[in-house]
Amino acid sequence: MATRVVTVDRNTRPGIYPILIGLRITLTNMLKTVFLKGASTVQFPEQKRPTSGRYRGIHLLTAREDGTPKCVACYMCATACPAECIYIEAGERPEKTIEKYPTRFEIDLLRCVYCGFCVDACPEEAIMMSRENDLVGTSREELVIDRDRLMERAKLVEYGPGYRPSDNDVRRPVRIAALERLKREHGIVPGPPAR
Amino acid sequence: MASVVEAPAAPSGATSAVVRILRERLGDRVLDVREFRGDLAITVDRRAWVEAARTLRDDPELDFRLFLDLCGVDYLDKEDRAERFEVVLHAYSVSKKHHVRLKVALPEADPTLGTLCGVYKGANWFEREAWDLYGIVFQGHPNLTRILTHDDFVGHPMRKDYPTAKRHVLKRPKEWLLSVPEGSEHLIVNIGPSHPAMHGTFRIQALMDGETIQDAQAEIGYMHRNFEKMAESRTYWQIIPYTDRLNYCSSFMNGHGWALAVEKLLGVPAPPRAEAVRVILSEFSRIMDHLIAISTNVVDLGAITPFFVVFRAREDIYELLDACCGARLTVSYVRIGGLAADVPDDFEARCRKALDSIRDVTLQAEKLLTRNPIFANRFRDIGVMSADDALSYGWVGPCLRGSGVAYDVRKDHPYSGYDGYDFDVPIGTVGDCYDRYLVRIEEIYQSVRIIEQALAKLPKGPVITDDKRVALPPKSEVYSNIEALMNHFKLVYEGILPPPGEVYGYTEGANGELGFYVVSDGQKCPWRVKVRPPCFNIYQAFPQMIRGGFLADAVAIIGGLNVVAGELDR
Amino acid sequence: MPRCTIDGKELEVAAGTTVIQAALQAGIHIPHFCWHPDLPVDGNCRMCLVEVEKMPKLQIACNTVVADGMVVRTNSEKAAQAHRTTLEFLLVNHPIDCPVCDQAGECYLQDQYMDHGLHDSRVEVEEKVRKRKVVDLGPIMLDAERCVLCSRCLRFERDVTGTNSFEFVNRGNVTQIATFENRPIEHDYAGNLADVCPVGALLSHDFRFKMRVWFLKETESVCPGCSTGCNVYVDHRDGEAQRLRPRRNVEVNRSWMCDPGRALYKDIGVTERLTGARVRREGGWDGVAVPEALDEVAARLKAAGPRSAFLATPQATNEDLFAFKALAETVGGMLDFRVGDPHLRLRERIDHVLQRADRNPNTQGALDLGLARDGVDAVLRRCAAGEIQALLLQGPELLRNADNLDAVARVPYVAVMATHEGPELGPAHAVLPASMWAEVEGTVTNFQRRVQRLRAAFPAPGDARPRWELAAELLRRCGGTLAATSAREVFLRLCASVPDYAGLDYRALGSGGRALRLEGLAAAEARA
Repeated sequence: MATRVVTVDRNTRPGIYPILIGLRITLTNMLKTVFLKGASTVQFPEQKRPTSGRYRGIHLLTAREDGTPKCVACYMCATACPAECIYIEAGERPEKTIEKYPTRFEIDLLRCVYCGFCVDACPEEAIMMSRENDLVGTSREELVIDRDRLMERAKLVEYGPGYRPSDNDVRRPVRIAALERLKREHGIVPGPPAR
Repeated sequence: MASVVEAPAAPSGATSAVVRILRERLGDRVLDVREFRGDLAITVDRRAWVEAARTLRDDPELDFRLFLDLCGVDYLDKEDRAERFEVVLHAYSVSKKHHVRLKVALPEADPTLGTLCGVYKGANWFEREAWDLYGIVFQGHPNLTRILTHDDFVGHPMRKDYPTAKRHVLKRPKEWLLSVPEGSEHLIVNIGPSHPAMHGTFRIQALMDGETIQDAQAEIGYMHRNFEKMAESRTYWQIIPYTDRLNYCSSFMNGHGWALAVEKLLGVPAPPRAEAVRVILSEFSRIMDHLIAISTNVVDLGAITPFFVVFRAREDIYELLDACCGARLTVSYVRIGGLAADVPDDFEARCRKALDSIRDVTLQAEKLLTRNPIFANRFRDIGVMSADDALSYGWVGPCLRGSGVAYDVRKDHPYSGYDGYDFDVPIGTVGDCYDRYLVRIEEIYQSVRIIEQALAKLPKGPVITDDKRVALPPKSEVYSNIEALMNHFKLVYEGILPPPGEVYGYTEGANGELGFYVVSDGQKCPWRVKVRPPCFNIYQAFPQMIRGGFLADAVAIIGGLNVVAGELDR
Repeated sequence: MPRCTIDGKELEVAAGTTVIQAALQAGIHIPHFCWHPDLPVDGNCRMCLVEVEKMPKLQIACNTVVADGMVVRTNSEKAAQAHRTTLEFLLVNHPIDCPVCDQAGECYLQDQYMDHGLHDSRVEVEEKVRKRKVVDLGPIMLDAERCVLCSRCLRFERDVTGTNSFEFVNRGNVTQIATFENRPIEHDYAGNLADVCPVGALLSHDFRFKMRVWFLKETESVCPGCSTGCNVYVDHRDGEAQRLRPRRNVEVNRSWMCDPGRALYKDIGVTERLTGARVRREGGWDGVAVPEALDEVAARLKAAGPRSAFLATPQATNEDLFAFKALAETVGGMLDFRVGDPHLRLRERIDHVLQRADRNPNTQGALDLGLARDGVDAVLRRCAAGEIQALLLQGPELLRNADNLDAVARVPYVAVMATHEGPELGPAHAVLPASMWAEVEGTVTNFQRRVQRLRAAFPAPGDARPRWELAAELLRRCGGTLAATSAREVFLRLCASVPDYAGLDYRALGSGGRALRLEGLAAAEARA
């Protein structure tokens, strides 16, 4: 596109009239606010501003059906974390299909920048974020939250789920296409082998 | 991704004139010419440094009058470098529309170089910064003191061998930036670092003769956190959250600029849908930034109504950002090669709602201000900046355009598909506060136009590249197959591995050209990241602008410059 | 000497060199799983296929000997396709285990997927063949699902240790490796199995779930466990050693090291480490600053003069020994190091792989520097006779043997440099805290007379200092000088005064060390 440069118009004529217009705007806004409930402000904390379903609040660890953490202590979140606020210690689980679990999982919320990279990095759908955004503490230690606090469900009900693994992009239909081709060209339908 | 630095080659097109003229003028003191990803980099002998810069500026065929950036780089223990330090100058020619990177290598034993203060006014603070962070001495510099760190700081923090774990306790405030002449009746007034009229934590000390400012000195660095040093130990995508904290009034645009710089380095473009969404959110951020700039500016002058009016629209934009990104301010929404996730289903409706409210509040603000005599009297012919000075200081963005220079990166070097949108570049004629205000108001309307066009033809498709060396695989794949899982693991712990090389990626931020100079050595963390913050150049001119004026005018001027400490101090 | 061209690079190699070795010499990495530089070629993984001009089919680089005029392409479309499909094939039954697998971060599959694969998956999880997981084989954990059947472990067991613990069982896609009746691995080289395994099938039990390897920094060093002097990496994070790993040196340890050596990192970060000096006062110990303790020790040594004795330790570096000797000579006391006669076992093997009976890394160095001078027995005799007024021990070895304690008890002042707290320090009158091997710069000389470098991986705890520095400080207080302020400089002084070491410096040692001349019987023993 051709560059169009426009020179701003300085030849505005100030006078008493614009001031009257200004007063009208102010008055209209006031009346709107008072009578039509057009106020932009909210009465926090009684009233809370709505947040979206992608809101990045305080983290949660998801649980398996038996109530143990889904996390397998792979350290991906701790690696991806730009603020280095996640501390994990791994232990061994008796189940051979799971092997590993976090004996300690701590997040220093004072260091955390709430970027959500831990959620992006998790290969197990084990960490997600809630919409909780008003945690208060009176000491630094209080705001380093541990595994049990991260697995507490009550807050999730209160605030709702926030940023979590999403798959709403439409990349790579390649694998599906490959499977269809197998079926079409070779009559192979992948599935558990017949025994 | 190309794997190697392109060999020194004869540069093509417009850039060849630069090389030819420099070679004519300097002969064999031009040591090296390289072109990588379209960036021309010329290394000269250190004795030819000032002459080379002057030639770049003065030669009518080159006309590099816009000073962009000057920084140091430490190549400690790099085997392919003969000398440890390098000083890098970036300049731009508005008339010829080309960039140049001028470099000079300095030995560890004697890191001294001639100053460019005589060539570009803007070089002053940048050289102080290079001294502060790298210990490079600029001979002939009028005031080579620390700028970002405290005066009692020991060492040069950006040097590669600086122990990062070292702690300093620095408490002693610097009381006097100016000296009061003996026996005079003059008064020293500190404005800031914590003052309602300062838009962030920075400080001006003014020497007052009655109401008139005789002399002024600026002090910055109160919010310095050395983003650039942190970036050297983070992977390319871990840096994204940090960029949100640069210009926090329009945080999305910083990430956009960073992603584009890295994509330029990688040679991997983002898909069209991602680019279009980036443009939409960037323009919303620009509108937000301009609205804040205008409204907080007049708040300082006593007019609080516009502030309340425009913040309604800002709220709608924040809600839009929250719906897309999951945060209002610290968005972290871009990824290298695209976006974190596709926009929500009601994206367009939300955008339309925000646009309506922007139109509404901008119109109201205009009615409240543009022809208001009190406002006009406070703004007209205050803080006049000539085009020449503005270029020499390295002004960019609305401030430069207010001074009548029609340079807009979106027009002159379109990125993210800006060449597909129809919009105008507003410029001023006088270069005063009023012009800067008018330019900002007009830019809001132009941004609205861009957003409407982008929404109308928002392409379908993926929002992140399918290059497996850059983008994390989809989660469903990670959970269900080993290939994607390994890909995911490698990208998380190893990061993106770009080819060795250096690029200067630049975008039109809300305050003007936001540049990222990125040097890669092929490893997972960048070797050097230099942010070229528009505010740094703009604020640098401030003390000179207010000299001779009233103290009250200084307040009017600072708001119109829209200095943001997060970006100024980095 | 055949000449060949690999990816456009021309090079000349020794006759008999395989393509994969030649490529490595040219700095080209050909992907592979089963090939290992110190194991016999097997050629089963098919990952290293390359295109050789005038050969109709792709060839495996590991088992193709370079012929004169051969033109090899490792990254042609055809070869790249082969790498991709081979990798995809190897991954067909691979479990989705990266999150729980300790190999992640040093896994050949991960690395080669990023370099050569980048393909999409075509296999559903349900289709994968399940095999045995989490099988405890003592020092090693076996996960048969992750195995790529490269047989490196089999060949290691067959050709290096000769124990043949592993074998393939079953066939087809249910083939897996196993030990007979799941018996644990019992030899001293089990750790190497985890190292040779290119994937996560065999993993170290000791390192299990302890740390992710991408957090670790590696520092080149030498194992202090015996006189073999195996080259190792110290893997550490935040100043803590996490594991030891062999570093390839064809002349010394090839790619191996023993399990007792691997365990040595555990002594470094323990709470028993000495972090400060202390001296004996009436009624007990008194913690003092190191310089203060040095003042006292130096005063006693100086006062004792020729009635002093110095016992060095072959655990110390050459730099430590050199400074210690200089101190002994300045003061004029007796000097020796052969507590327990390590020099007699210097070249004696205790197995056929690596380990030697002398459990000190630097007995040869101590001999080279002339520390075998007056004899430990002679020193003890004079002690017992009450003729020694001050005794300085570079290490606490002497005190560990109860037979010596009577003699030591007759010495009015015993000072000892030590790294760890322990009951043996009881008879001492002053204890000086010394740094350990992973915390110092220095050199040691192994049984072959190869001088090899130790590098400081992280700082020593508290006030602990290198032994050479302690000796140099004492020397200064006794009126002498070492004229050196770093280990590097001490080594230069050493090389100037010991003829066999002449001309060496740290740079000349490089990462693999430098072998000195070895003559007569010693040479024959070392070769054996």
